[in-house]
Amino acid sequence: MSERFFGRTGGNHNEAWEARLRDAARAFPYPPTPDIASVVRAQLAEEAGRKAGLPVSRRLVWAALIVLLLLGGLLAVPQVRAALVEYLQIGAIRIFLVEPTPTSTPLPSTATAQPTPTPIASLLDLAGETTLAEASQQVDFPIRLPTYPADLGQPDAVFAQELGGPVVVLVWLDEADPSRVRLSLHQLGPGTFGDKGDPGRVEETVVNGRRAIWAEGPYVLQFRRGNQVDYDLRRLVEGRVLIWTEGEITYRLETDLSLAEAVRVAESLR
Amino acid sequence: MSEHPQPADHKQQTLISQARQGDAAAWETLVGQHQEAVFRLAYLLLGDADEAKDAAQEAFIRAFRALHQFDTTRPMRPWLLRITTNLVYNRRRAVGRYLAAIQRLVRLTPEPVMAPTPEASLPSEESALLWQAVRRLNPADQEIIYLRYFLELSVAETAEAANIAPGTVKSRLSRALGRLRQVIAREFPGLWKEHVA
Repeated sequence: MSERFFGRTGGNHNEAWEARLRDAARAFPYPPTPDIASVVRAQLAEEAGRKAGLPVSRRLVWAALIVLLLLGGLLAVPQVRAALVEYLQIGAIRIFLVEPTPTSTPLPSTATAQPTPTPIASLLDLAGETTLAEASQQVDFPIRLPTYPADLGQPDAVFAQELGGPVVVLVWLDEADPSRVRLSLHQLGPGTFGDKGDPGRVEETVVNGRRAIWAEGPYVLQFRRGNQVDYDLRRLVEGRVLIWTEGEITYRLETDLSLAEAVRVAESLR
Repeated sequence: MSEHPQPADHKQQTLISQARQGDAAAWETLVGQHQEAVFRLAYLLLGDADEAKDAAQEAFIRAFRALHQFDTTRPMRPWLLRITTNLVYNRRRAVGRYLAAIQRLVRLTPEPVMAPTPEASLPSEESALLWQAVRRLNPADQEIIYLRYFLELSVAETAEAANIAPGTVKSRLSRALGRLRQVIAREFPGLWKEHVA
């Protein structure tokens, strides 16, 4: 190619510049190309299976019902209830456990324990993006913002979702790495349901003098799939989740902060 | 490199035909042949390997669904790259506020410009600086430079991928490179200093 790109300078000069550009572009250090082909094939197979069955949202409802029926049956037997399965209920969120109910004394190991790996959602896929002002119009409860940490400010993204009732998801991005979520605060209004599985390590704690739960693992959110909205078990932050209630509202703070710091954020809501 | 886009060869046409019948294995083979170019373009546009992987996967899923619209007399790679670019742009539009925040942050905290010294001017350092410079350009300028220089598409393939006439490729490249040169002179003076007018 011998196009002249810059009329104000000589042709040889431009060609040399373009050659340098071409060499640098050719030498660009791309990350290794992942195996996309097999993932795409698996996804197509999954979609084919999904078409053959019920839509995902319907299947989710049925799966939840089956879980509840199973739990109901198990819970009817006292020995089984004690030994096998229990759940915690806090506000709108029910956390299914396979271990006995946690004690109010945190286990020493949890302070440094790493969360179990679960899919971290991309903000690009979260459904219901809106603004804080619009979200305030959509829900009939006041949307509260943390005043701690002091530099937090207004959320960088706001999502209004529907999980049996209105849910507002506020997201703050990491200033140093804006592709990463620093903090997310979910405010679940009346009528919302939130079943949480695989909670990992669970501790009881206190927010504003009331019982709260410090857990980890994914939870149900709405995601966009093409032109449709669907439900999935995900999380936004590689960290843990503090759940507490105030009145009819259930709050879920997702953060990689320590428990003490998370409680401080929770108690700063205004 | 040919300046004329090559249609899908007989083997590819057979695979496309099978994939159109819903044969996921045939599509997997085709994806394997083009995944590198698609992933790389997505990476250049998004700047994040995980996001690029997601976008590339979605691009191939969309292409599979739109396969009946694909003209087998045309080359497949530019068609896939066009889908990828559109997908990335649509995602950007859908989360405009999010990306605007990122862009604001990037502008507020520009990456430190490390002028490569003669002994430190490794090709990958130059390439990384060049990429930073290209990312300062508008999306249309970025696209044409990525297709033509980073992915080394021919003018004809670039025209197919960007959905423009071949003659327009040259004029758009000319303008994009002019603006790139200004960005380099202004923000990356250490890069190819001797070539900046």
